[in-house]
Amino acid sequence: MTVAGRPIYAGLTSPFPRPERLVAATRDLDRGRTTPELAEKAFIEAETELLALEERLFSNVTAGYFRWNDLFRPIAEAWGGFTVGPLTRWLETNTFFRQPILSAPPRRTAGAIAARLPPPLATRTAAARVLLPGPFTLTQVLENRSGASEIELLRSLGRLLGEEVRELGGLGYGVFQFSDPILVTDPPEAPAAAAVQDAYQSIADAHPGATTIVWTFGAGAGPALPLLDRLPVSVVGIDLADTEPEALRPGPERLGLGLGIIDPRTTLPEALDDTVGVVREALRRRPSSSVWLGPGAPLDLLPARPAEQKLLRLSDVRHALLREGLA
Amino acid sequence: MSARLFPTQEIGSLQKPSLEALREWEERLHFLSRLPRIPEGVLLHPDVATLQNLRAAFAIALLESAGLDRVYDGEARRVEMYEYAVRQMTGFQFQGHVRSWDSKYYRKGTVVNRVDLIAPYHLDEFDFVREHARTAVKLPITGPYTLADWSYNEYYLARQAGWKGRPQRRAAQREFVVDLARRVLRPTLESLIDHGCRVIQIDEPAAGTHPDETPLVVEGFNEATQGLDAEFSMHICYSRYQDLLPALLEAKACRQWAWEFANRDAEGHDGYEVLKLLREYSDTRSIGLGVVDVHRDAIETPAVVSERIQRASRYLGDPTRIWVNPDCGLRTRSLPVAYAKLQAMVEGAKLARTQVEGPAR
Repeated sequence: MTVAGRPIYAGLTSPFPRPERLVAATRDLDRGRTTPELAEKAFIEAETELLALEERLFSNVTAGYFRWNDLFRPIAEAWGGFTVGPLTRWLETNTFFRQPILSAPPRRTAGAIAARLPPPLATRTAAARVLLPGPFTLTQVLENRSGASEIELLRSLGRLLGEEVRELGGLGYGVFQFSDPILVTDPPEAPAAAAVQDAYQSIADAHPGATTIVWTFGAGAGPALPLLDRLPVSVVGIDLADTEPEALRPGPERLGLGLGIIDPRTTLPEALDDTVGVVREALRRRPSSSVWLGPGAPLDLLPARPAEQKLLRLSDVRHALLREGLA
Repeated sequence: MSARLFPTQEIGSLQKPSLEALREWEERLHFLSRLPRIPEGVLLHPDVATLQNLRAAFAIALLESAGLDRVYDGEARRVEMYEYAVRQMTGFQFQGHVRSWDSKYYRKGTVVNRVDLIAPYHLDEFDFVREHARTAVKLPITGPYTLADWSYNEYYLARQAGWKGRPQRRAAQREFVVDLARRVLRPTLESLIDHGCRVIQIDEPAAGTHPDETPLVVEGFNEATQGLDAEFSMHICYSRYQDLLPALLEAKACRQWAWEFANRDAEGHDGYEVLKLLREYSDTRSIGLGVVDVHRDAIETPAVVSERIQRASRYLGDPTRIWVNPDCGLRTRSLPVAYAKLQAMVEGAKLARTQVEGPAR
């Protein structure tokens, strides 16, 4: 579907918050008050329910990534050279992740990420959005005891993420989102900026047919746009809750524009007219070949119920834009 | 300032013991002797109020037994520092759980109406501590900035016209913080002071979350405390303090910075170096010096504690400004570990005192 000739997509850009029943089940499991089988049942129910909602509203689906404890955990647990480290604050939020500790050259473990993707995605690979940490953010959050320099690490993690994309592509997955907020919260300068480009180039080269999205949030994207525009990706995503539309400028035609229009830092539902207005303004300032709407910051900063209401609003905005485009 | 060098204090919460644990600790601490006699039957199956009294008396006894100069009750009556406070106010709704990490969750409130105080809080717990403590008392209370930062802002944000971008969020957050300071914290602090509370720690652990909002942390602190007759401190933890300075120094009534340092003091990294900045800014307030890490079970030795205190003294250029405390509340540690850390802290302070002043005569 298109607005003024350009396709417009919408979907989740992060794990979805665990529904209350899953909260209770995982808490009980933690405290030895339920069995792994019953907790697994709660995971499956949560995935099934969210998937049904996503399939009704959006073209891409995620099934919630409820099993992931944080964005970096699958890599910290599964890739060689990594161990799971201490609790660390996730950007400017009151949530925490376990810092990956890299003590040796990183090595990808074949099949490990695929095995950790939400199970229902395995039968919907064409519609699935694979969430992965962006190479720059991964490099910045890990504790590097490997002896490699930041630049070397960026390039090697880019190559490994590329191999991951190639393997998942072989399984039928075609849409890959790299959450890379530190590109805007603390933009890299040369020579790290060049290494970021190299890392994304490795990803692009690994699976040229894939749709690759770099998703940013946490700060205004304006200062980082020159670098973001150079990245060999399909879509650059920016958070309009943090980026003033006035900060946008025209980018390369090949790039789709991702717009974070749902703010998970408040339960206040976004006003439809205001949101459509800000998208219109963003597109006026940065015309783009395709539009990808989503929550800006991770939606799991909210409890499940208001998050679900916000997903419905995301769909409303998309439909309002489509109506406007068709009018 | 204190009469002797390196006095010790706690920072906040302790783990809440089960009945069984209370029974075991009674043999060591004899805290039941501080309470009116409780019939055996009630001790076996205490109601909520009795259990809270038991836990509070236990915490006071534990802190005093470890040798601290200033104590409280381990926040024995509070669910936790956010939810307990928010439940003393109108204007909030709880909408569900948010994940903090892994399978650890907390309930985060949404402000849906203008906040107001139901009644000043912490008064009963303060009265209990004052009655049952044998040493000086310091009351911890969650500050306005943290209460706002850990909530969803609907009411104040909805009052901002149009698209809710960063400037609108900031303006709404300022209104929220100032309302919490004026309408909730200040009347509560006034009541506590009327009850005889002299030393009050304003907890602002969220202060480091958005360093560019430090002026708002300060505005909330000043609105809540200005002109009140008490000794106020501000507890902040897990922050890059250099990012908060010098804006934080405008907290006028704050007489002590109680900060975490030990967690970041590791081989190759001096966790106390940031104190030099206070000297550079000519800030002469006292420091609540975090010397034991509340996120590790390993017990610091007195020698390590003493070295940290003396290093901090050198950076500040004045040992008389140092109070010694854990980095933060110890509720993430088991009670035996918390107790051992506090004992090591007190021993370390003694050792530092001896090394700086010479042996007591």
